[in-house]
Amino acid sequence: MTDTAGRASATGDRRPKALGSGADLRADLRMVGRQLGYEQLAFWRNPIGAVFTVGFSVVFLVLLASSAGHSRSAAIGNLEVVQYYVPGFTAYGVMSACFNLLAITLIIRRETGLLKRLRLSPLPTTAMVAAIFLNAMVISAVQVVLLLAIGRLGYGVHLPSDPGPLVVVLVVGALSFAALGVGVSTFIPNQEAAGPVISIVFFVLLFLSGLWYPLAPGSTLARISAWFPMRHMITATFASFDLRPGVSPWAWRDLGVIAIWGAGGAVVALRRFRWAPVRG
Amino acid sequence: MAAVLVEGLSKRYGSTVGVDDVSFEVAQGEVFALLGPNGAGKTTAIEILEGFRSRDRGRVEVLGFDPADRGTLRLLRERMGVVLQELAVEPFLTVREVLARNAGYYPSPKDPDEVLTRVGLVEKARARVKTLSGGQQRRLDLGLGIVGNPELLFLDEPTTGFDPSARRDAWELVRHLTEGGVTVILTTHYMDEAEALADRVAVISQGRIVAQGTPDHLGGRDVGEARIRFRLPEGVDPGMLPVPTAASGGDGLEIRTDHEIGVLRRLTTWSEEEGVPLVGLTVERLTLEDVYLRLTGYRSGEGTPGGDGPSGGHGTGQREGRSGR
Repeated sequence: MTDTAGRASATGDRRPKALGSGADLRADLRMVGRQLGYEQLAFWRNPIGAVFTVGFSVVFLVLLASSAGHSRSAAIGNLEVVQYYVPGFTAYGVMSACFNLLAITLIIRRETGLLKRLRLSPLPTTAMVAAIFLNAMVISAVQVVLLLAIGRLGYGVHLPSDPGPLVVVLVVGALSFAALGVGVSTFIPNQEAAGPVISIVFFVLLFLSGLWYPLAPGSTLARISAWFPMRHMITATFASFDLRPGVSPWAWRDLGVIAIWGAGGAVVALRRFRWAPVRG
Repeated sequence: MAAVLVEGLSKRYGSTVGVDDVSFEVAQGEVFALLGPNGAGKTTAIEILEGFRSRDRGRVEVLGFDPADRGTLRLLRERMGVVLQELAVEPFLTVREVLARNAGYYPSPKDPDEVLTRVGLVEKARARVKTLSGGQQRRLDLGLGIVGNPELLFLDEPTTGFDPSARRDAWELVRHLTEGGVTVILTTHYMDEAEALADRVAVISQGRIVAQGTPDHLGGRDVGEARIRFRLPEGVDPGMLPVPTAASGGDGLEIRTDHEIGVLRRLTTWSEEEGVPLVGLTVERLTLEDVYLRLTGYRSGEGTPGGDGPSGGHGTGQREGRSGR
């Protein structure tokens, strides 16, 4: 039988393997790539995930930019608001994939037993986690490219001449919001509540943070939302487009706040994360 | 060599006992059942063997590995398969994609197409998992348990929540899948499941193993007390019978005895002499359920509202009286 033959040969060359141990590193990276491929497949096949994440950012940018894009706002130095909406929704794209989607996906997988099952397979945990994070980043990147292209081609938005600050904001934001997403997922005990609870909190905070219109600096909303990372993600992304003379594209303060939230999320995630269903 | 060796295994959660001084051995190719009520410690025990949970004390060897050793855990997991209580399958991938994906985690997996055939899902190969019925998802789940070509398969309550015919199908499938020397450790709270699948059973109650043996011998059910039942003949008062009886629902009578041959002889002699037929006469040993209820400390008036098992509908009063045996 093929079974016995396969097993015998496999027993022969069995040796300890841990992720990242020298010669096996390439095999493990291939495993991450393979797992990422299946994550992508599952994401793009899920209409709710694809529509609410990617579709949402594109549709709202187009709606807002088409209806009010060319009006000017004093809150952003009298620029056309479309110049604000493109970075704003770019920030949203990253946050929705890395925070909202990641948290909801993790809760559903945990509560349906998928996480436990994968944990009990030989797939190294690091490979599984890496694939989940990379998946969120690929989805973010797809949105960033789409949104920048729509902004540039559809509305003549000025893209940053130096992409450095934008890339740094997006990467720091992606990592921090992913850590926050994992942290938040540990507080929701069942899959039915996952989508509604996390989405409501997320969208309320986005509303407060000026995703829909630029907040005047020093306004009540701006002061409230300054406590949360969403606001800083939007303003840091906006700054990185370098549209206002005399204002640095490096929004270090915003980046700092985002990173602190991310670190907090990581601490919570490491302390509270569990593989098995909470109700189990 | 034993596939699984457990000695003096203990695990507490704060002041709650998970498992307490549990010992057992499972031979290669054996199907071993941990049978016990909810909360008895079955899942704790199996999760320690899987390397999912840590232990407080005791020695554990699974396929020669200590599952608490992080350094060799991946090697162990390459050789074991797991089916959990939950139907844990990605909804948006197709049946074949899920099997192929998981096969890739193992060094020498089975061919996904062969697994499809064995679990009877060939026609569903291209269907998204979410379109499968519950029974089909469970079949896929079992397929995922064996796709890595495991030497040891863990089945954690594989049929909980199934209707009777789905359970029978699942048993058939488990038997079919484990042909050819796969060692199986299964947890269940169904007596008939343990009886149908297991070579050996350990009954676990409040974290302790209270009996171990083959389903036929467990708890001395092949020796000792037998139960004789028949219907009260018309026009006969129970007092007229040659042996004392207990009522057993409607006009049924029941005798529990360690000396069934003697009792039967007296009954049949009386029946012939009096010309009164003993309608519905049966003799049976304790069912596994009787043994199980006794071992796990069942008392009448608590727990499940009997009636779903062969002996659940009657005689609970005697059960309490016999529990000290």
